[in-house]
Amino acid sequence: MSFLEPLFLALGIAAAVPLLLHLMRRRAGARVEFPAVRYLVRAEQENSRRLRLRNLLLMLLRVLLVLLIALAAARPVGRLAGTGHPATALAIVLDNSLSSAAAAGGEPVLAELAGAARAALARATAEDRLWLVTADGHVTGGTADALLAVVDSTRPLAGAGDLPAALARAAALVQAAGLPARQLLLLTDAQGTAWQEVPTLPRVPVDAFVPAGPVPPNHAVIAAAARPVRFTPGGTIVARVAGADSTTYAVALLRDGAEPQTIARGTARAGEEIVVHTTPSVRGWTGGFVALPPDELRGDDRRHLAFWSGEPPAVRVDASAGTFVAPALDALVQSDRARRGAAIVVAAADVADRLPALLLPPADPVRVGAANRNLERLGVPWRFGTLRRGGADVRGERLEGVTASQRYTLQPAAGAVADTLATAGGDAWAVAGDGFVLLASPLAPTATSLPVRAAFVPWLADVLAQRLAADPGVVLEAAPGALVHAPEWVTAWAPAAGGPQQLVVEGALTAPTESGVYFLFRGPARAGALVVNPEPEESVLDRLSPSVLRSRLGVRDAQVHASRDAFAAAAFDPAAGRSLLAPLLAGALLVMAMEGWTARRGAAGRG
Amino acid sequence: MDPTRTTRADLFDPAALAALGRIEIVARWIVDGFLTGLHRSPRKGFSVEFAEHRPYQPGDDLRYLDWRILARADRWVVKQFEEETNLRATIVLDVSRSMAWSGAPARLTKLAYAEQLTAALALLLLRQRDAVGLVRFDERVRSAVPPRSRRAQWQRILVALADPGAGRSSDAPAGLLQAARLVRRPGMVVLVSDLLLEAAAVERSLRELRAAGHDVTVLHIMDPAERDLSLSGDAIYVDPESGLEVPATLADVRDVYRATVDDAIREWRRLCASADAAYATILTDAPFGVPLRQAFAARQRQP
Repeated sequence: MSFLEPLFLALGIAAAVPLLLHLMRRRAGARVEFPAVRYLVRAEQENSRRLRLRNLLLMLLRVLLVLLIALAAARPVGRLAGTGHPATALAIVLDNSLSSAAAAGGEPVLAELAGAARAALARATAEDRLWLVTADGHVTGGTADALLAVVDSTRPLAGAGDLPAALARAAALVQAAGLPARQLLLLTDAQGTAWQEVPTLPRVPVDAFVPAGPVPPNHAVIAAAARPVRFTPGGTIVARVAGADSTTYAVALLRDGAEPQTIARGTARAGEEIVVHTTPSVRGWTGGFVALPPDELRGDDRRHLAFWSGEPPAVRVDASAGTFVAPALDALVQSDRARRGAAIVVAAADVADRLPALLLPPADPVRVGAANRNLERLGVPWRFGTLRRGGADVRGERLEGVTASQRYTLQPAAGAVADTLATAGGDAWAVAGDGFVLLASPLAPTATSLPVRAAFVPWLADVLAQRLAADPGVVLEAAPGALVHAPEWVTAWAPAAGGPQQLVVEGALTAPTESGVYFLFRGPARAGALVVNPEPEESVLDRLSPSVLRSRLGVRDAQVHASRDAFAAAAFDPAAGRSLLAPLLAGALLVMAMEGWTARRGAAGRG
Repeated sequence: MDPTRTTRADLFDPAALAALGRIEIVARWIVDGFLTGLHRSPRKGFSVEFAEHRPYQPGDDLRYLDWRILARADRWVVKQFEEETNLRATIVLDVSRSMAWSGAPARLTKLAYAEQLTAALALLLLRQRDAVGLVRFDERVRSAVPPRSRRAQWQRILVALADPGAGRSSDAPAGLLQAARLVRRPGMVVLVSDLLLEAAAVERSLRELRAAGHDVTVLHIMDPAERDLSLSGDAIYVDPESGLEVPATLADVRDVYRATVDDAIREWRRLCASADAAYATILTDAPFGVPLRQAFAARQRQP
C-alpha cells in the first residue's frame, strides 16, 4: 500500500484520544455521597463484565474510526483482496535494439522478451489502457490483442535505439492516462551500454524482465571508414573489429548492378586496425563494407562505408602563391593525390583569373584593393579588410597548432554564405564557397605557420580534392532511424542497392532503419552518401546486474525479474494502485454506525 | 393558612408542605387532611367516658357537638370520650446517617420525611386514643418514648424527634427489640427505615415481634434517586455510613441498578410476608397521605 498524501497519516495520532479517555474515565469525577451504594456495588458486579466489554468495544471502534479517517485522508492506494486487478494504465517497453537479436540458447533474446510480453498481456482486461513502446520510441496503443499482434511482428532494430527515452515516453503515457493504477513493464536484455543514462520518470512502478543465461560471444566491426573521403582515385579503407579473440574479415566494394567486389580478406585481432589500400575501378560516389563471418549477433557483423573516387585534381600554382605551395603540390603529384593542370588555380587574389581557385591575400598590402576588385570580378562574395598583426591560433580541421601572425579580416559581401573552414582570433580565417577557398593570411612563414607545418600537405590535398576538384559532396554517418541534418542542397536519397528516391526537404531526413549505404542526390546527380551503421557500443553485450539495472531505471519502485512467470505475475499487480479511499470511507461509516448503535444501547440504559 | 379549609394537606408535595411550618403544625395539617379524606370519623368509643372537648371539624358527627357551649360561647366544639385503650403502637424510626440524604435539593431527606410521617402518624393514632410510643435508632437506640395516649404524648414524641441521630450504621434489631420491651401487650409496631441494613437480622426481629403478637408494618423509605438512579455523571460514589467507595458511570449501570433495587424490594417484601409483616415502599416525593394510608390500614386491622 502506498499513499498519495502521506502527511495526513499524522492524523492517526488522534487515535490516542479515545484510548486515553478510556483509560482515564474511571479516574475522573467527584466524590458523591450515595446511601444506596450497596445496590450500586451489586449492579456493578453484575454488570462489570458486560460494561467492560462494551466500553472496550466503544474504545476500539473509536480508535478504528480515527485511524480509518486518517488513512482515508492520506489517500491510500493498494490492494483489495479478491477483487482482481484494477483498471490499469500499463505500458510495455520492449527492447528490440540490435543486441536483442543476439541468439542465446538457439533463440534470439527478443523472442524470449516477446514471450514474456505475451504472458503479461494475457492478464489484461478490457478496462486496462495499454501501450507498447519499442526501443526506437515507436508507440502502439490499443487492446491487448492489438498489442499482441505488434509484439509478434516486432523485429530487432539495426541499431541501439534509445531505451531510456522509450521508458520515459511510456511513463508519460501511463501518467497522463488518469487512472490511479499505473505500471511500466520493461523487457530488456539489460545491455550495459543501453542504460548509461538514468531516465527521469514520474512515480510509476516498474517491473523489468531480464532473461537469465550467459551473454553470447560476439565479434563486431566497430569502425570502418574511407580515407580520404575522395579517392584520387586510390584511397584507404580503415576498419577495426571487436571481440574476445581474432576473426577473419573481408573488405568489399559496391558495384552498381553487380555483386559487391571483395578487395581484401584477412584475419584481425580484437582492436587491431585493418588498413586496406585500394584503387577502385568505379568512379564517383560509391560504397563498401567490412564484413565478419556470421556469429550470434549478425547485425554488427558488417559495417558500411562510402567514398568518392575519381581522377586527381589538375592544379596550377601561380607564383603569387608563394614558395611553399609548389613543393607541396609536387608531393601530392608524386602520391597521385593531384596532377599538374589548369583545372584548379592556386594564386593571390589580385592575380587569379578564374575559378575554381585557392585564393590567398596579396603579399603586398598595397595590392589589397586590386585583390578585392578581382574577387568581385570572379564572383567571390568576400573581401579583404584591414590587416591585423599579432599571433592568433588558427582553429579548423587539420589545422591544429597553426598560428597566424598577419591576417586580413574577411568581410562578407552581399549574398555571401558563411562556410567558414577555420578561424583565427575569433575572425574567419578560411572561408569556402562555390569554386573557391579564400585564406586570410598569405602562405608565408611571416604571416602563418601553416606552410611549415606537417599538416600543410594533407590540408592542401583536402582543399584541392574535397573543396575545389568537383561539386561539393558529403558523407554523413548515422545510426538506424536517427534524425540527420543534411546540407540544404541535398534533394533526395536512395539505397545504394537500388530503389526509389526519397525526397529531402530543407536538409532534414530520418536515417533508414536498415544498415547500409544510401546515396544523396543534388538534383539528378549523386552528391554524397549517407552511411547507416549500428552504434559501436551496441556490439558490447555485457549485461547489468539486477541491482545496477534497478538503479539505472530512475524510480524507487522497480523490480527486476529473471523468471517469466514471476514477471507475468507482477504485471497488473493489484497492489499497484487501486484507490482505497472509497472502501476506507465505507469502513469508517460502518464503524461510525456500529459505534452509534453501541453507544445508543448505553444511552438507552441511561434513559 | 389553614390548608384543611382549601385542600387536603396529606396530598401536598411533602417538601412544599414541610416548608410551610414546623413539624407539629404540618403534622396536624396532614392528619386533618387525611381524616377529612376518610369521609367519616374514624374515631371509636365516643360513647364511653367524656374526656375533653376539641374544635369541631367537618365530618364530625353532630351528635357529639356540645350545644351548650355553642349556645353560650358560640364555639363549635365536640365532646370526646375516654375510651379504654387496647392498642399500643410504637413507631421505630431509623435515624442513621443514610437517612439524612436527599437525591435532589427540592426534596426532603429521607429522615425529614420519615420524621414528618412519624409525627403525623403519632398524632393520628393519638387522636384515636391509641397509645403511641417512639423508638429512634441508628447504630444504637438513640431515644425511646414509651407508648402513652395522653395529650402530652405527642409533644414528647416531637421532642424526641428533635434529638440528634445520624450514626454510621443502623441497628434495627435493637430498635425493634426496644419496641417489644416498651409494648408488653400485643400491639402495633411500625418500622420506618430506608432498610439499608442486614435483612436477616431484621427478619429475625420481625418474626420475634410477630411471635409476641405484635402487628408489624414496615415502611421502606426511599429517595426517588435511590429507586431509579436518576443521578448523572461519572463519579466516585461513597456510602455515608460504611465509607465504601464505588467509581461508576451511572449511565452504564442504571438498568442493572434498577433491576437490583427491584430485586431488593422484592426480597424485602418476601421477607416481610414470610414474617407476616406488612410492607410498603414509600418514596420521599410521595404525599404523606400515601404512607399514612398504609399505616392506617394496619391500624384498622387491629381490634
